[in-house]
Amino acid sequence: MKRRKVILVAIAVLIIGGGWYGYKEYTRKVPDLSRVRPDITMDSRQLISSFEQDEAGSNAKYLDKIISVRGTVRAVERDETGFYTVILNDGEFMSSVRCSMDAEHQQDVAGLKEGAGVTIKGACTGFNSNELLGSDVILNRGVLVK
Amino acid sequence: MIVGVFSLLAVALNAQDKFFTKTGRISFHSKAPLETIEAQNKAATCVLDAKSGNLQFALLMKGFEFEKALMQEHFNENYVESHKFPKAEFRGQILNNQDVNYSKDGVYPVKVKGKLTIHGETRDVETAGKIEVKQGRVMADANFSIQLEDYKIEIPKIVKDNISKTVSIAVDVNLEPLKG
Repeated sequence: MKRRKVILVAIAVLIIGGGWYGYKEYTRKVPDLSRVRPDITMDSRQLISSFEQDEAGSNAKYLDKIISVRGTVRAVERDETGFYTVILNDGEFMSSVRCSMDAEHQQDVAGLKEGAGVTIKGACTGFNSNELLGSDVILNRGVLVK
Repeated sequence: MIVGVFSLLAVALNAQDKFFTKTGRISFHSKAPLETIEAQNKAATCVLDAKSGNLQFALLMKGFEFEKALMQEHFNENYVESHKFPKAEFRGQILNNQDVNYSKDGVYPVKVKGKLTIHGETRDVETAGKIEVKQGRVMADANFSIQLEDYKIEIPKIVKDNISKTVSIAVDVNLEPLKG
């Protein structure tokens, strides 16, 4: 009798545990990158050069990866809804790394000046190229590292 | 002769031929019996040629931000397969471009037609939209719907009630003059 009770309790725990896990997984939010270790740390020059030379290969290497990019601030843009994007470009390339800042980390970059050296951590979403506008490596959910 | 001089002057002053942005907002919305799925991309590029009415958009699929991580993963891995088709783009035309006066502040209803490419599939799209010219900037917005099957985006039967076959897309861009 005791054994059957143990089995029933074990099943109940599994069901409740499974349900709890399912609920947590379903409601899981995209994590704040300030709490996530980067997959890769690199210079903005290396990142741009990689995509310019081999977009398909770079996509395979970098898409979805959390990259900590070091570079020089070319500009800090603010769109009409107040969202900040930091553009990193060390001057040698036509292309830049554009870092769309995370909604919760907008103020990280409010005071950033052009020419400053920074490291920003973001998720790589790819390389958006345009004949007129030039090409950019785009990261999103950006957080300022230093 | 005076009319000739005046028109030359008008052309010289109206030197803003192209407008662009790299922070265009494009969002989609899918409403089904079990839930509503929404996501927004804040890094769409857009170029508008004011002279010809030529209009282009491009965005990276992985740039769509969802509230729930699981939805974002399913969207990228299973539905739009963004590792295979990282970009979506639209190349088209403002059909009544001559009705828009890009040098006069105002709101102009427009009709846009072009080719939309998502998940490697290209389809014709036509929609009404609105262009607002204000202090040298051009704001454009439009809303239209697409059928997922047109772009070979497959919905597994198991989540049929979570995802609608029709998805509505909202475009909202604020364009500045492109210099040079």
